[in-house]
Amino acid sequence: MKQRVTKVLGLLLAGVMTLGMLTACGGKNGDTEGGKDTSSASKETVKIGVLVADVSGEEAQGFRSYYEKYIASNYNVEFTYTDALESAEDEKSAIEKFASQGCKAIISLSGSDRAQQIETCEQYGVYYAVASGVLEDEQFETYKGYEYFVGQVGPSNATEFEAGKAMGEFFKNQGTKTVAIYGAFIPNPMHVYRLAGTIVGLGDTYGGTDDMNGIIGQIFQDQTLDLSKVEGDTEVVAYLQGYGDTTTDELNAAIQKSPEAFLSVGMATTFFTQSLNEAGIAFSDIDSFTQANGDAIENGKLTYLAGKYSSSIGPVFALVMNAVNGNVIRDDEGNAVSISQGYLVATDKATFDEYYVSDNGDSPIYDKATLDSIIGDNVTYADVKALVESK
Amino acid sequence: MSTAGTAKKIVGTFIIPVIVFLILEGLCLSKGEHIITNAKSFDNFIVYVAIVMITTIALSINLNSGRFDFSLGSMAALSAIIGAKISYAIFGGGKGSALCMLLVTIVAGLLLGLISGSIYVLLKIPPIITSLGVTLIYEGVMYTITDGKYLMTEVQNSSMAGFVGTWIYAAIIIVLVLVLTIVLFDHTRFGFDYNALKSGQKVSVNTGIKEVKNALICYTICGGLMGLVGFFNAARNTTINGGQLNFGSIAIMFTAFLPMFIGSYISRYSNEKVGFLLAAICMSMLNSTFAVFSNEITASMQSIINAVLLVVFLIYLNNEHLLRKIFTK
Repeated sequence: MKQRVTKVLGLLLAGVMTLGMLTACGGKNGDTEGGKDTSSASKETVKIGVLVADVSGEEAQGFRSYYEKYIASNYNVEFTYTDALESAEDEKSAIEKFASQGCKAIISLSGSDRAQQIETCEQYGVYYAVASGVLEDEQFETYKGYEYFVGQVGPSNATEFEAGKAMGEFFKNQGTKTVAIYGAFIPNPMHVYRLAGTIVGLGDTYGGTDDMNGIIGQIFQDQTLDLSKVEGDTEVVAYLQGYGDTTTDELNAAIQKSPEAFLSVGMATTFFTQSLNEAGIAFSDIDSFTQANGDAIENGKLTYLAGKYSSSIGPVFALVMNAVNGNVIRDDEGNAVSISQGYLVATDKATFDEYYVSDNGDSPIYDKATLDSIIGDNVTYADVKALVESK
Repeated sequence: MSTAGTAKKIVGTFIIPVIVFLILEGLCLSKGEHIITNAKSFDNFIVYVAIVMITTIALSINLNSGRFDFSLGSMAALSAIIGAKISYAIFGGGKGSALCMLLVTIVAGLLLGLISGSIYVLLKIPPIITSLGVTLIYEGVMYTITDGKYLMTEVQNSSMAGFVGTWIYAAIIIVLVLVLTIVLFDHTRFGFDYNALKSGQKVSVNTGIKEVKNALICYTICGGLMGLVGFFNAARNTTINGGQLNFGSIAIMFTAFLPMFIGSYISRYSNEKVGFLLAAICMSMLNSTFAVFSNEITASMQSIINAVLLVVFLIYLNNEHLLRKIFTK
């Protein structure tokens, strides 16, 4: 009896092993499943960690959808996202976790402490890139020579300032005399630069100056916008920043002051659209081209939107993929890549649709064919720069 | 009752709200404004009164019986998330969404309260510890349902905006809650038992009052009330934060501490629940004054002022007899 059982078990095991071998031999190099690039079947899936501070915003969700749905289905990559990171410590431990999970690269959309992010990635030998933003100029100078710092593709600080300035000028030119301002997440550098630009665009000075660096320095020091320092053509009747338990009260207070317009340097369309529509106050934002923002422009009071499109983070992915595949692209001086992206502006539904429809779902602006032109062993800095600047 | 007795009651009941109004209105006038600046600020004023009054009543129900319940905030947030998800699934943010969410949120709140109470009754460990555990569980469930995101699509629609866009609905709910709680706690068998247990637990139990049943009903009512608060907060904020881990939801109940002590003081002269309403009005006047001074007083300074007022009022309550001695000499 015992011998028979052993024989049967042996036969079963042999059968299973034979089937296993047949299955393993069944695949062919170069097979394509649903458009997914598996040309190098022997290559394992590239794991990329993504650091995010915002998990709820329209822009953040658009970025995520592009990576997880479009890129992941067209390339042999797997994206792992963090929860909403609230501090530099959170960012550091997320990078350590990604490294232990075998991530080859990290793309950062979180800006609590990018210097520490670069240092940590360098320590763990993981490639690192900044998407949809850039480091402070001084920081970039410090870290541009780091081995694992691949680079940054996003609006430069000067571009952020100009985006804010253009928004302020739009309302000033319309004859707006009183505004409320939402500073989003000051002291996030991106928001500081936009805010400084907005003040200048409105025809105002801050602490007696309208110089970009002069205003930036003061806002970083104040960690907020001190309304007593604002003087000039347009009166800023209320200011609020951040998002938390007291935000609704602060927004209500701002609405009670009856501003002619509500200018936001980021995420107002995520949090305040309904309240501002209800209050009948024209508002603006520097955000992204999403369906909800389209509705707000068409049916609500959103009158000015400077935005990025969801696939604008495509070139950063290309840089990272090249690095993982052995082609770490460097600029002409041999440093990490830094390329600036501009904003698109819509003040009506027709213009909005023009941008939104061209970057949607299965046909993003940075589609597979476009990205393939900058992913490869022979791709250079000039190729990437030329493509980004052409979009 | 004598005329003097009635007058004393009326004065005792309204003296704090009147003094608060005079001080705050004076401050606002110094800036050329009023506590209530326009129709919109009146809407905000009444909605805030509703939120504070209902939270205060919910907090006081268990606290009066020696049961400190940290889970109130998580009940409000979780029930609102459940209500928002279900109402959005049915109405897709269209007409009737707000009413559906209101009803579902209250039912969810009642259930969550009952679960919280059952855990306390079954485990037989101090309620403060039980409630901390329940808070973590409810926050974890919230996080799982929402992936830690803010819930926005489900609560951003004209139906919800309409609910807090006028003072009328909030006022109706204030009246309903007041009438219901006064009837329940002052004119029913349950209320008599509750008051007896509050005054002397051991004696009451020995006389045959069922403490467990009474505690379960208390927790369930608290849950329902916090469901209402969750609904109001969702409509007012146009978001629900699903990522409130590690006791992040506790802040919701902290707005109720100062009004609870003020309400308890007023209850010496009138019904306790009416005291909570008047205390909530005081808090709302303070909140509206902060709105007038929003460019001068930051949100963090407002929190400090609220905390200082709480401490000052507690110092007064604890030294009232000494003050009376000093002023009657």
